[in-house]
Amino acid sequence: MKLVLLLSIIFGLHTALTAQDTDSCSYELKGVIVDADTKEALPYVQVNVRGTQQYLQTDINGEFHFKELCNQSNTLFISCFGYCDTTCQHFYKQGEKPYIYLKKEVISLEEVTITANRSKEKGTASISQQSISKEMLSVDPTQSLALAISEINGVTFTSTGNNVQLPVIHGLYGNRVLILNNGIKHGFQNWGTDHAPEIDVSTASRVTVIKGAAGVRFGPEALGGAVITESDPLHLKEPLKAKVGTGFQSNGHGYFINSEIAGGLKKWSYHIGANYTRVGDMHTPDYSLTNSGKEEKSVNGGLRYHLNDLDLKVYYSYLSQNLALLRSSVAHSGTAIVRAINSEEPNIISDFSYDINQPNQLVQHHLGKVEATWRYSEDAKLTFRLGSQLNKREEYDVRRNADLPIIDLDLITHDFQLEWKHPNWGRTNGLIGIQAFTQNNDNNPGTGTTPFIPNYNTFRYSAFVIESLVSDKNTFELGLRLDYEYNNVRGRETNQDIFRDEYSFTNLTSSIGYIRILSENTSLRSNIGTAWRTPNMAELYSFGQHGFKTSYGLLRYYYDEIENGKLRTDRVTALRESDVSPEKGYKWINEWRTRKNTSSYALTAYTHYIKNFIFYRPLAVIGTIRGPMPVFIFDQADALFIGTDFSWNQEWSSSINGTLGVSYLWSKNLEKNEPLINQPPITVDYKFAWKMREFWNAESSLITLKPSYTLRQFQAPKTVRPEELIGGSVVIAQESEIFDFKNAPAGYFLLDIAWQLKFGQFDAGLSIQNVFNTRYRNYLNEMRYFADEPGINFLFTINYLFNSKSK
Amino acid sequence: MKKFDDIKRFFLYTFLAAGIFIAGCSDDDEAPEEENELEVITDVKLIFTNDADAADVVEARAQDPDGPGVQELVILDGINLDLNKSYTLTYEILNNLESPAEDIGDEIQEEDDEHQFFFSFPEGAFASPTGNGNIDNASDPINYNDTDGNGNPLGYFTSWTTGSAGLSGGTFTVRLQHQPDVKTSTSGATDGDTDFDLQFVLNIQ
Repeated sequence: MKLVLLLSIIFGLHTALTAQDTDSCSYELKGVIVDADTKEALPYVQVNVRGTQQYLQTDINGEFHFKELCNQSNTLFISCFGYCDTTCQHFYKQGEKPYIYLKKEVISLEEVTITANRSKEKGTASISQQSISKEMLSVDPTQSLALAISEINGVTFTSTGNNVQLPVIHGLYGNRVLILNNGIKHGFQNWGTDHAPEIDVSTASRVTVIKGAAGVRFGPEALGGAVITESDPLHLKEPLKAKVGTGFQSNGHGYFINSEIAGGLKKWSYHIGANYTRVGDMHTPDYSLTNSGKEEKSVNGGLRYHLNDLDLKVYYSYLSQNLALLRSSVAHSGTAIVRAINSEEPNIISDFSYDINQPNQLVQHHLGKVEATWRYSEDAKLTFRLGSQLNKREEYDVRRNADLPIIDLDLITHDFQLEWKHPNWGRTNGLIGIQAFTQNNDNNPGTGTTPFIPNYNTFRYSAFVIESLVSDKNTFELGLRLDYEYNNVRGRETNQDIFRDEYSFTNLTSSIGYIRILSENTSLRSNIGTAWRTPNMAELYSFGQHGFKTSYGLLRYYYDEIENGKLRTDRVTALRESDVSPEKGYKWINEWRTRKNTSSYALTAYTHYIKNFIFYRPLAVIGTIRGPMPVFIFDQADALFIGTDFSWNQEWSSSINGTLGVSYLWSKNLEKNEPLINQPPITVDYKFAWKMREFWNAESSLITLKPSYTLRQFQAPKTVRPEELIGGSVVIAQESEIFDFKNAPAGYFLLDIAWQLKFGQFDAGLSIQNVFNTRYRNYLNEMRYFADEPGINFLFTINYLFNSKSK
Repeated sequence: MKKFDDIKRFFLYTFLAAGIFIAGCSDDDEAPEEENELEVITDVKLIFTNDADAADVVEARAQDPDGPGVQELVILDGINLDLNKSYTLTYEILNNLESPAEDIGDEIQEEDDEHQFFFSFPEGAFASPTGNGNIDNASDPINYNDTDGNGNPLGYFTSWTTGSAGLSGGTFTVRLQHQPDVKTSTSGATDGDTDFDLQFVLNIQ
């Protein structure tokens, strides 16, 4: 964590002239670095006079003293590391610009504002990444994690209705995107598009999205990237802070209450929070989305104890969700599918209600974490992390036994991580770690149906090394990781016979990164990362109808060679006897950033080749007792993704700021030379922010306008309407081209407006989403077959902030 | 060397903690418990019984032996009725994946307020009901012989009278709709969800 706080400051510093010698190298420069808040001196801060080899560390009183400087005017580089990343945490409270004071008694200087680059996770510094601060997250406290981060260029979400939303990074989602919640891999039923991570985004203090393959640092599943959520950073010596917020949204008549308390003493620090959200049926411009509400409760708390160079943190969070899925999305027969897909409006529309009926999901997630960090020397530390999670999921479907869950699973995840940030070896610094990870999934009896997902136990043992070498303007990053994974699976066939399987994989993951500071304002970063992933349980073992599709996992079907390769589903193939292989990804991602006067640009370009990419494709129409039904299978093929994200930020004036974002992704199934389904379309958005220091009675006002345009996905597979299949006018077979039931929806323009005001200890917000009440369907929402997206929404929020030390 | 001892101690404690922790996560090796498959229908038999002669029974079977598996549905028989007779149609609806087979028919009769049978057949195939059935239009005539608690028809028992006009190779469709909280006096064949939707060849000679 050496560069935890790289404070690069560029300012003219008039040195205190202690001697008016004619000798040009006799200037001296003295200063004291103190905490802006507490005015406490900061020791062990590294100070460098730019363009010289003079490096100093502040002493125990925070003082530094340069001698024999040749210029009267100097630029200082200040960086904190070692002990300082405990103390300096005061500075980089999320979203705030830190202030460092150089004490005026010692040197006559004005206060200096310093922009801090936040530390990046080791091994990911060369990968394009972006964060969302608590301030931005709190604009809409009812939103999902995936929706919140879709603000980021190249990130979007795929969803099943408006409650179940999964992050998509550069076209990949599900368990190709690792969700790291408080340093622990979020352990949940991560399969399908209908299981979203159970994380209450309003409890997060920051969310970071890493857009490249971050598998070396975080392990398999970070193949497409990672989403990192952090809770309250538990700063020490922080005055008591409390916040109570509430709000109302017009669409769905939603309301919420948020509360949090945090404080830090000399050795102790704590935070506690609790949230409640309730939303009823949402409304499109024309009709009610019957059964689309949600209810969410969450509590979380953290405690930190700091003793000399030892830091202990304990964290616990609990989230309970009841998420409704659109009633009209359930179709149990071919004719019903035809009807549901072809009708302009959903087939079932009732009046507004808060009631949540089937289909719905009841989820509870507990997470407990203990973390110990020992900074045994200035540039080295040991971190030990232990996490346990319990994820209980019940899904209810519209069926004869609707009161019984159709899926009822308990998933227990344990995580153990030991990391050593070793002392600098020359100019090399790095992180070495070992990890153990176990998961135990059990079906609870009483569903009245054959388990869709088997019982399983996963054990994974990993070791990794990440080293970075900093030489002048170049930084090299190298990472290696070895994983061994063992799985033990027990499931049931439809005739209730037990099947068992055991399999294990050993895999080496690597990444090479390079950062080049081209000039003061321009940087280039490039990273090539490999990653791998074992197929998830749904991809291997799903069997039968779930939602409106009948699907067979990779090990659930085979082609009978005796009968001319006829498809069979009467036995479960053992993984080692099948030709199923883990996915392997190779992602090369480059990012170029530059700043010129009042504008800054960032361009990201990537190419991602995935071997054995697992995808879902239609297979045939089969006759069933409910009529002809389209059948889907999971299949593997090599795929290629190429894309780019561009952003341009312009400060139009001191109070007006605009950001343009464009994302483009091209993807292809290389083996069959055909498009992939459900890939994000091109989006263009502009965010216009107008900030006023004083406005009317308010201390500050921030107005944001966000117009965005999403193009039609023109790379979508061809359309075969379900009636063409069922009627037999289009015949699909094993080798048929991929298709979709409905044309990709038309492009759409949306406008969101938000206005935030701050009055003393209150802040208030009004935002209007979908201002023009536009009728549209989102290509990445599975419900696009059945219904439009929600229409206009007015959201009011008000927060009361209590700070024991008022400014 | 104190530092070195401290490092050793840190490792020792963490490994100890991890050891206890990992030992706590036992590999249970349990398979999911056996479930009664309540959702699947594998066999449907239409039973037409001559009202005048209980021994005169016409049966037509449809079978999807592997339920949710990929195997195709097979319609095993046609419906061969005689001219100028009155029949009562009832069913045998089974899940043969269970052993012994589960009788879904009982469940349907218990949940009569959530189910309704709908029919379609060639125009004028029967003397009674007239027309072409009620799948296209729920208010079209069908001779329902049973009702639920709300007075709405179920259709587990229906009456059919053939006339003197014969028919060969017609299509007789029977559809069972599951309509929890949906079934009303006006709800039709497209409301709710389909439990089965089967087409038989109909011959009246």
